[in-house]
Amino acid sequence: MVAASEPAPRRALRALRRLVPRGYLFTVLGIAVGVAGLVSLGAMAERITRFIDGGDRFVLGQISVAGEGMGMGAGFTAGGLLRAAKIQEIAAVQGVATVQPQVMLPLSTSTSHFLTLTQELVVGMDPGAPMANRHYRELPVRAGRFLRPGDRGVAVVGADFALSRDLAVGAKLPIAGTEFAVVGVLDKTLTAPDRFAIVPLEDARDLWLRRDPLLIQVFRGGGFTRADLNSGAAVAWQPDQDPDALARRIQAAVRGVNVTVPGELSKLLRQSTAFFSALLLGMGVLGLVIGGLSLSNTVTAAVFERIRDFGVKRALGATDGDLLREVVGEALGVSLWGSAAGVGIALGIGALVDSRVIRQGQQLFLFSPRLLAFALAFAVVLGLLAATYATLRIVRLSPAEAIRRGA
Amino acid sequence: MRVSAKGVGKSYRGAGAEPVRVLEGIDLEAGDGEIVAVVGASGSGKSTLLNILGLLEPLDTGEVWFGPERVSHLPRRAQARVRGRAIGYVFQSFLLIERLTALDNVALAARYVARDQATARREAVEWMERLGVAHRREHFPSQLSGGEQQRVAFCRAVLNRPPLLLADEPTGNLDDEHARVILSELGAQARERGTTVLLVTHRAEAAATADRSVRLVAGRLAPPAGATGPVA
Repeated sequence: MVAASEPAPRRALRALRRLVPRGYLFTVLGIAVGVAGLVSLGAMAERITRFIDGGDRFVLGQISVAGEGMGMGAGFTAGGLLRAAKIQEIAAVQGVATVQPQVMLPLSTSTSHFLTLTQELVVGMDPGAPMANRHYRELPVRAGRFLRPGDRGVAVVGADFALSRDLAVGAKLPIAGTEFAVVGVLDKTLTAPDRFAIVPLEDARDLWLRRDPLLIQVFRGGGFTRADLNSGAAVAWQPDQDPDALARRIQAAVRGVNVTVPGELSKLLRQSTAFFSALLLGMGVLGLVIGGLSLSNTVTAAVFERIRDFGVKRALGATDGDLLREVVGEALGVSLWGSAAGVGIALGIGALVDSRVIRQGQQLFLFSPRLLAFALAFAVVLGLLAATYATLRIVRLSPAEAIRRGA
Repeated sequence: MRVSAKGVGKSYRGAGAEPVRVLEGIDLEAGDGEIVAVVGASGSGKSTLLNILGLLEPLDTGEVWFGPERVSHLPRRAQARVRGRAIGYVFQSFLLIERLTALDNVALAARYVARDQATARREAVEWMERLGVAHRREHFPSQLSGGEQQRVAFCRAVLNRPPLLLADEPTGNLDDEHARVILSELGAQARERGTTVLLVTHRAEAAATADRSVRLVAGRLAPPAGATGPVA
């Protein structure tokens, strides 16, 4: 009986000891370490996979068009100035549903423009125009609201963007000397929009002009209006249109623009992220090997450790089936306990690490339900297999031999 | 239960080594309620003989019979059932299971013989009371003295009222007082229930409690040293 005056932590420890079968604590810990390794590596692989898939989904959801001639430019559109006349020409191409002019600027001009997939971006959108990307008809808003027609001086920020700056609805966000009121925070998408600050198109044009003195010179030369200030445009296609074919038609019909073919860009993206794909495959295999070896070794050792007990039980009349049932039952319980503890450890490590790197707008781990379910199933199945293997090895011995070896 | 060994032989093979013959041509019988002591020097094959008679180890040659049943050639599963139903073991090193309490160790004997577990646990407590270890029922083996552990092991051996008790140096790790308790209980089982007892021992006082003794010398039964009776 537990004394009423016993401290709560000690009571909790006693309760835990009662739940874990006697003599199995180290086995449970051994399994937990293996599963924690598997889940942690798996969560990093999941994070990368989701990021790459998100980028792929984005590029396959729209035809991106940029102006010609300014090199890499900014953002996904990766182009120069796309003037209003060109946008009208694009809209007139057969099969085009809508064209959404955009301005994409890197938030920090000191960082490379090439790494737009991981870079924080200021994205200027016309709140009155429908979203052109068919995979992102609307971005999920976690708090506040999205942009509305007529908005000025406001921003909707991505989840990581907000977290890294402690931004919430109502907060002020200074960008290049202009203060924006945060009116919405997006839900986590685990891809590019998590790091966006989305502002009205006109505000983005102002920012661009202020940042790029060359543009001001161009404007002073005449012949340009604010409507010409677009870094690119997202093009939506009509139903039954082949986006790749339409992209090629636009390229052929409109001179002086760079058109990305969704299928080709997706392929390019996959090629450019092949290293990450290989990395995550390696991480997954490594996780399986490390976690699997640790787990199976722990369970096998735990069973072999009891070789004498098996000899005694067989002397008392236990059949091979009796022993196998007992061991499998115990292995099931121990594997479940160990894997649950391992998942807990991995979640703790993930939360700790992510709480640090989130300040740089990053997230390293993604503990998806499928990963956790796989880890639990993997641990249980491997635990059962290891226990069965060890038991079958032991029952081949005579009871006397088992007792001798276990002595 | 009448126990018979007929022409029992056993060799051990080491890796790459010549087989070592441990037992050869053993013929031995023990009747209902009889206590037979098996004596001999270390390495003479006493424990191996007991293991073979108890179906803990396969024999190479010969047969073992329990009454009318030739048990040495039964399939593994059937042998396991015979072990659980018909044989109780008392070992020198007790062989209690560390992660079970004393009571659970005793009750374990009933788990594999399709007995009602509640009844078995009640009887286990009664046996523990008889042997004076009931107050230690919730303790684990590592928390018990050697004498207590052997008494718990004895309770486990007799819980299913087996017709055959095999005791391998049951007093080897005990002081005189505890040794007397165990030997007395073995004698009581033979007298009160007609249990056949085979007792391996190198202690003269233990052998003296037997109805008769047989001596093993280098794996063979030595010729009887005169009439039946304790071996000095």
